[in-house]
Amino acid sequence: MDNKLIVSSSPHIRSDETISRIMLDVIIALLPATLASIYYFRFNALKLIVLAVLTAVATEALIQKLLKKPITVNDLSAVVTGLLLAFNIPSSAPWWIPVIGSAFAIAIVKQAFGGLGHNFMNPALAARAMLLASWPVIMTNWVTPGPEAVSTATPLAILKGEAANQVLPSLKDVFFGNVGGCLGETSAILLILGGLYLLYRGVINWRIPFTYIGTVAVMMLIFDGGFNNMVYHIFAGGLMLGAFFMATDYASSPVTPKGQIIFGIGCGVITSVIRLYGGYPEGVSYSILLMNIVAPLLDKYTSPRVFGEVKQNG
Amino acid sequence: MKFIDNLKNGLLKENPTFVQLLGMCPTLAVTTTASDAMAMGLATTTVLISSNFVISLLRKFIPSKIRIPSYIVIVAGFVTLIDIFMHAYAIDLYRSLGLFIPLIVVNCLILGRAESFASKNNPIDSIVDGIGMGLGFTWALTLLGIVRELLGAGSIFGVQIFGEAFKPAIIMILPPGAFLALGILIGLFNWIKSRKTTRV
Amino acid sequence: MGDILKLGLILLLITSITALVLGYANDMTKDVIVNVENQASEVARKEVLPLAESFKSLDKEILNKIINENPNIKEIYSGYSENGDLVGYTIKTATPGYGGDVEVITGISLENKITGIKVVSHKETPGLGANATQPKFQNQFKDKSVSKELEVVKGSPSSENEIQALTGATITSKAVTKGVNLAREIFINNLAK
Repeated sequence: MDNKLIVSSSPHIRSDETISRIMLDVIIALLPATLASIYYFRFNALKLIVLAVLTAVATEALIQKLLKKPITVNDLSAVVTGLLLAFNIPSSAPWWIPVIGSAFAIAIVKQAFGGLGHNFMNPALAARAMLLASWPVIMTNWVTPGPEAVSTATPLAILKGEAANQVLPSLKDVFFGNVGGCLGETSAILLILGGLYLLYRGVINWRIPFTYIGTVAVMMLIFDGGFNNMVYHIFAGGLMLGAFFMATDYASSPVTPKGQIIFGIGCGVITSVIRLYGGYPEGVSYSILLMNIVAPLLDKYTSPRVFGEVKQNG
Repeated sequence: MKFIDNLKNGLLKENPTFVQLLGMCPTLAVTTTASDAMAMGLATTTVLISSNFVISLLRKFIPSKIRIPSYIVIVAGFVTLIDIFMHAYAIDLYRSLGLFIPLIVVNCLILGRAESFASKNNPIDSIVDGIGMGLGFTWALTLLGIVRELLGAGSIFGVQIFGEAFKPAIIMILPPGAFLALGILIGLFNWIKSRKTTRV
Repeated sequence: MGDILKLGLILLLITSITALVLGYANDMTKDVIVNVENQASEVARKEVLPLAESFKSLDKEILNKIINENPNIKEIYSGYSENGDLVGYTIKTATPGYGGDVEVITGISLENKITGIKVVSHKETPGLGANATQPKFQNQFKDKSVSKELEVVKGSPSSENEIQALTGATITSKAVTKGVNLAREIFINNLAK
């Protein structure tokens, strides 16, 4: 019965070769930021990234074996999920955080809903939300880059006034990632580099990242006191990582151009509202997760009518 | 063996939580600890047995046109009794279950059994049905409570199981944890059931 | 018409019997409930003001005046020693925390010292804000002087009037401290002579 009619969200035409090629491009795009995080956070970063990736791949293979499905770890999608999850973890986290996170992302968020292309949320982000709700202290324990790894606060937390008597790091440090934060979110410039590579390769298009970042920029300029704060909001924190690599996930974002623009603006508005009026200094992950849920609805209302289609009930 | 069948019906075959998915509100809300979950289950069982018995006794007396308001009044009466007595004699339990005791009134499980069983069967069978369904509800809730308390607080019935090194996953005692744990348990229950049927 | 009357009468009968049973049960447990409720509050009051043997609610008129000015104050009790001397007050406050009001009872002795605090009711996040009920946090307030406003700090406190925030739950820590500060002000302005 399963084989007679396949109803799924796009992309409808699939072949393993293109999936693995796309995923390989994503991994290449993430490579500079990965190397930077290992440079800044040393052995801890390496350990967490390796554990996250290995667990993601192993969980995928195990679940597919248990469900007697073809094992598709060669498509590299689990590697991307594991890598993105590791990017969302503070470098001070213990070894079991990426292990539990990756297992949750693959087993619950991805495979329980039907595997690649069927997840309704970004698996890495959903796992991060789970980790943050479960171990809030561990997941917000930031340390400074470098060998000393002193406890610190993220630039956005300092901006929000949550960390008294800490000085905002210079913009240069923010650009290059020499600040406290999750493993992969710190270096804005390298993430942009990766994003541009994906745009060049045609893996993602401009709509979601540019409307997302643009919306945050405009809202911060108007509501958070000017240009300087706006720059910090854009380049510090997880916005670059989220806009280029998370919000553009094929399975959980809209496919229609109009839908993607609304999706990007929605992400931007929610991020700004959380950062300005909410309890968290950071809002990228929750805003993308929330917009993931409305993505099917956006597709439904923005899909172009087929030419010559008779209007129903008309 | 109608007696055993009636009992088994609620405990396993038509388990209110895992099969019928009835009474989801307390199932999700008060299973943060094993003891709260068990107390909630037992309170519901008490109401269910009493209301099944009384409704079955009155089944020929209550005209079908006003059966729903009559059932609700009877159920609400028993729930209020439990509420009052718990307040007087088990104040700590009363505090931690809070609003969810009065809410037993609208637990679909109770009205559902009144409508589909007690109104058509004799009082003895209705009591047995109440015991089966109630205990089926209780063990399901307690299991959910054990899983959530163990993962979310590292203890079972308030007794610490893991040492200091275990960092409990707080999400399990927050609302999302209820959905996660329930989903996985229902999946497990169905899996065990399907394996049983294919083997026979 | 007759049908409706009959149905109404049957429903009336069922509701009346239920009401009768409930009325009887209520009568039976009324005093017990008042007793347990009082006992529970009495235990909490004694915990924060151990010097006192018995408690009496503050004079209604004075209490109402205080509450009118400070709606966050919920109850004030005077504590008396064994031989009937006034030894201090317990003040219950409700201040907004992360998930709703945090109710705190603060005990203050006539020697201008906070004798203890207890978080009696809250809706804070389990594992974070809910840790405010743990003795480790609450004992920080013990023996603090009422003359200086208490402040919440992250990390270990460096001066006498600082309270170390709960890890990851600054809002809850601030809510509790705000309640204690409020009690302190009421004590200084309205109660101490």
